Amino acid sequence: MIEIRLHGRGGQGAVTASRIIATAAYEEGKFSQAIPMYGTERRGAPLTAYVRIDEKRVRLRELVHHPDISICFDPLISLQQAVANDVKSGGKVLLNVPFGPEKSELAGNIEIATVDATGISLETLGRPITNTAMCGAFAKATGLVSLESVEKAIKKYFPGRLGEMNIAAVRKSYEKVSPWVEAKNKVAPKMTVDLNVGGYGTLQDVSSWRVFYPSIDEEKCIGCKTCWIFCPEAALEWKANNKPAMINIACKGCGVCANECPVKAIEMKRVAGT
Amino acid sequence: MSYEVMVGNKATAVGCKLARVKVAAAFPITPQTTITEYLSEIYASGELPGFEFINVEGELSSQVVVQAAEAVGARSFTCTSGPGLLYMHHPMQETATKRLPLVMAVVHRSVKSMQPDHSDLMAQQWQGWLHLYVENAQEILDTIVMAYKIAEDKRIRLPVAVGYDGYVLSYTAEPVEIPAQEDVDAFLPPYKPMPSILPNEVDPKTFGRGWEEGDPMKPWQQHNQAALNGEVVIKEVFADWGKKFGRTYGNGMIEPYRVEGADCVITAMGTIAGTAMTAIDRLWADGKKVGLVKIRSYLPFPRKDFQEIAGGVGAIGVFDRSCQPGMWGPVYHQMRSTLYDEAKRTPIIGFIGGLSGKEVRVEDLMKIGEKTLKVAKGGKPEAPIQWV
Repeated sequence: MIEIRLHGRGGQGAVTASRIIATAAYEEGKFSQAIPMYGTERRGAPLTAYVRIDEKRVRLRELVHHPDISICFDPLISLQQAVANDVKSGGKVLLNVPFGPEKSELAGNIEIATVDATGISLETLGRPITNTAMCGAFAKATGLVSLESVEKAIKKYFPGRLGEMNIAAVRKSYEKVSPWVEAKNKVAPKMTVDLNVGGYGTLQDVSSWRVFYPSIDEEKCIGCKTCWIFCPEAALEWKANNKPAMINIACKGCGVCANECPVKAIEMKRVAGT
Repeated sequence: MSYEVMVGNKATAVGCKLARVKVAAAFPITPQTTITEYLSEIYASGELPGFEFINVEGELSSQVVVQAAEAVGARSFTCTSGPGLLYMHHPMQETATKRLPLVMAVVHRSVKSMQPDHSDLMAQQWQGWLHLYVENAQEILDTIVMAYKIAEDKRIRLPVAVGYDGYVLSYTAEPVEIPAQEDVDAFLPPYKPMPSILPNEVDPKTFGRGWEEGDPMKPWQQHNQAALNGEVVIKEVFADWGKKFGRTYGNGMIEPYRVEGADCVITAMGTIAGTAMTAIDRLWADGKKVGLVKIRSYLPFPRKDFQEIAGGVGAIGVFDRSCQPGMWGPVYHQMRSTLYDEAKRTPIIGFIGGLSGKEVRVEDLMKIGEKTLKVAKGGKPEAPIQWV
């Protein structure tokens, strides 16, 4: 059985990609299973999905904890060690980045291949939705499914002209994906962001979802607790001086607090590096 | 016959289409599932002639709408999940009391979180329905069709709930074989309403509460007997399906896996049973002879099957994916009551896990198998019921 983990952001189509891969595998006479991991997702938030491919019907239904292959659809998440963590020894990591695999800093006893799926998607689809481009790279790099089967599967999910455009993306990435290169770093640095939250539970840490964070002006704040009442994630704590403070792991950066504050004491500021 | 890689919720909708469901009514918003989206697509495509899909303002209404539809002779369907099912609690009793053979898909969602466990459907176990638990998308499709045949059988005439775990099955895509419509038509005859459910069986004109004269306990006795008849009818229908479509799920009540020659067995329902198969394979590879019994029908409980199995094994480990606070796991209690009168006293250990969507992994199930095996070999359990 081959187990695959997919990393992406909400809106990039990683869940659809997992189903395309499962469908393509089935087209070739193999059995498959595509499990998405759902929490309180939203556009832009990191998410994971899983695929299993086997010769017989897959009845195992735990999540994939030690994948043979890890695929990342997002160029920024592709830089995070979490993408390569827990991959089986000798396993493979396929990244969407605009540089070659020898430049990747991801560590482990793994092989890395890269493709500029964002560039290919912008060229062929006109938007950075990288799922189908990554499917083409996956087909070429792993050889687990043929280009033809991926194209068949894509036609099922995207009929008509949209399908043709996506097939163009698949073909291009099939050509452009790099060969596998052994990771230059063997020992992983201490993981800072856990993208691969195991289990269907409440996500413990959503700090990596934020593009904006609430910056609180304590001078303006009147301590009315309106922000605290409206915060959908209970991500504000109340300090001894009767002012709010963001709880780092709980805030998704939605901006509801800033919108509700009656004295405009909260400003949403861009997180550095996003 | 054709194939498609589809999610569990789509398998439900395709099952409804094959069963030629006439009326579906459902609340379309959370906690509803994507089943309604697939049903709407079927409606819009016109591929199911005469099919009506009715959006309603809540689960209480959806249950009442399909009751009325069933009563006038339209094969009907509804679906819900977690809190939606709890809201439906009241009219569910009425559907069973009126002996209407409705089929409902329950996509499990915990009463304490958004994630799956069996606490939603377990909370309905006094409502007089038959409860089937399924493990994979193919089994969903097959069981939805079979559920109509079971529900509409003259010996049953009761609504059937088909439960499957949310997310890990409802949103998981896998290959599903879709039987040909004409084969399903040959298997499942059109639904004919049967108003004659009154005690005197003479041209009755009302549904439900029509027993002002006579013994008010009579309908309870009939209802109870009908539910118990499930043990026979379910086996018949599944055997028939196996013959016609070549796919079997044990005997319909249970699906044993490597039970022959096993020193002990563990039991599981729904998706946990699928994962448990891998655990069982690894245990046997280690020389540990642990079998698995997947419980497909919780109501009626497979009493006869377990009375037979218990005679041949040293211990039974029962996995519950729900907990009734103050009473522990419901499957555990069913099992103990089932085996109480047996001459051979087989030890039963309870395990509670997977609550509020906590992932149950192969290692967890292997540990359960090992603990059960220890008891089968004469050891003492650490506790009669354990949290996983």
